[in-house]
Amino acid sequence: MTEPTQKNIAAAKPKKEWVGFSVRRVATIGENTFTEAVRQKVYNILIVFALVVIASASFFSEFTFSEQLKFIKDFCLGALSVFGTLIAIVGTAQLLPNEVENRTIYTILAKPVRRFEFLLGKYMGSVLLIFVSLVMMSIMFSAALAFKEHRLVSDASRTMGNTSRVEEKQELQQQIQQIRSEVLDPNLVKAVLLIFAKLALLAAITLLISTVSTSMIFNVTVAFMVLIMGHLVGTAREMWSSNTWAKWLLALIPDLGSFNVADNIVLGNAIPWMHVGAVVLYGLVYTACTVAAAHFVFSDREI
Amino acid sequence: MRTRIIAVLVLIIPSWIMIPLEDRIQSENARLNYGTVRVTREMRDSIGQGMAIALLAGFRGVVADFVWIQSQGYFEKREWLRQYRNMEAASLLQPFSTFFWNIGAWHMAWNIGYAVSVDPANFTKAEGIKRQHEWWNKARDFLQRGIENVPSRPDLYYAMGWLYWEKYKDPCNAQTYFHEALEAKGAPMSLDTSFLVIRHMEARAMEKCGDVMGAYEYWKQLWFQDRTKVPEMWGVVEREIKRLEDVLNIPNNKRVFPKNQSKTTSVS
Repeated sequence: MTEPTQKNIAAAKPKKEWVGFSVRRVATIGENTFTEAVRQKVYNILIVFALVVIASASFFSEFTFSEQLKFIKDFCLGALSVFGTLIAIVGTAQLLPNEVENRTIYTILAKPVRRFEFLLGKYMGSVLLIFVSLVMMSIMFSAALAFKEHRLVSDASRTMGNTSRVEEKQELQQQIQQIRSEVLDPNLVKAVLLIFAKLALLAAITLLISTVSTSMIFNVTVAFMVLIMGHLVGTAREMWSSNTWAKWLLALIPDLGSFNVADNIVLGNAIPWMHVGAVVLYGLVYTACTVAAAHFVFSDREI
Repeated sequence: MRTRIIAVLVLIIPSWIMIPLEDRIQSENARLNYGTVRVTREMRDSIGQGMAIALLAGFRGVVADFVWIQSQGYFEKREWLRQYRNMEAASLLQPFSTFFWNIGAWHMAWNIGYAVSVDPANFTKAEGIKRQHEWWNKARDFLQRGIENVPSRPDLYYAMGWLYWEKYKDPCNAQTYFHEALEAKGAPMSLDTSFLVIRHMEARAMEKCGDVMGAYEYWKQLWFQDRTKVPEMWGVVEREIKRLEDVLNIPNNKRVFPKNQSKTTSVS
């Protein structure tokens, strides 16, 4: 028997077949990831809880109408952000560890599926989950606002019917007009859009973390740390604005505070679409880079 | 190892390239007046540890609302100073919210002002009146700070005018603020209800301040606007013009509503 030479070993190795990138495969993996996530109890509990919290916002009733509408908007947009964050982080943090633990990753990667397609599919599934959750929560938010508007307007109309004083009628008319304009505020769409952009970025960051670690708890903890850091970056940058080194260092952490325009929309400040576009672009670039970095780490990882 | 280095570079290089975009977003935030609020020690003591964490996590609006709701609880417990402290905290958390300045000042001048004036703890009635005036002054200072923070919105000028009109019984200062409300950048421009309500108040304040003829001219000027808009608002204008024509003894031929003619045949 002849000794196996380097040449023989190389010849014995199966040749790696070149597989082109396929959007269909990404979509299939994404769809599968979404279906799996939706079937999980954690997700269902979170979404039910979020919907109950948002619906309960319409019970702020012991205040003036403008207080009630402001509280509903703040509370619901806050709930959208909190539950969206939980869904984005917890939903994404378990994607890779679960695949490795259940050994399903071997079956998938044994097929002609590129690692990048697998990772992108997983990410897309997660983003779809966030999108569907946000849509559901936004529908509940709109219902809570519509319910409150109906109650406030009918209360004001009833009072108007009972009064004969012209000044009081004028004031009530003004109130009804104000209630309608506050409820039908198209700027709320901008707030929800920016929440979505922030959650998509958070999901990408969590995905990157999960390509390095195998523990879900570690992934969730680190992602939450990044979330808090991301909200403090704006303040830090303001404080160290004169320090160039600090500026370069802080640029590595995405400024998640930039996505928070909800407060100002609720206060009635006009947020130009240009600004919303700039923030979305900022989020998109960070998201794309984070997913690309996750790909590079994952492509080299021993499974 | 090589791919890990590439991954790090993929994260670092675009982040640095995006510094100008980040700066642009930050300066736009500052221009639109919605920068971050620094959590100082006083702020943390005022809102509590949990709220401070929520604030740091980006839930400024929700924290401000909860602090505000707490302040209502203090009102019911008759803890005025705690209520005042919470209203201050809420307005500091969202200094660009006219709502907190406006309603906060209203609580001070109307609710707390009245409650302290009839407080059984007062030794004399005079003490109650003195305490009531102190709260009116607090409301005025609070509104003044609000105006300094949000000079472009008419609400706070109107609230200040109303405070002078209703509490201080000072129509001249009230007129100044009603006028400021109409001059503010964000003032209603069209003939809508809020625009007419402020105009009505300015005319009334002008008359009480002594300029009866000026007030008459003001009402007249208002009457010759497009009356097809907000039809329910014009009854008051007609009533006030008729009253002032009597007060000023305007000759019949110069009246908007001559005495022998009905409303429908009025000069328009």
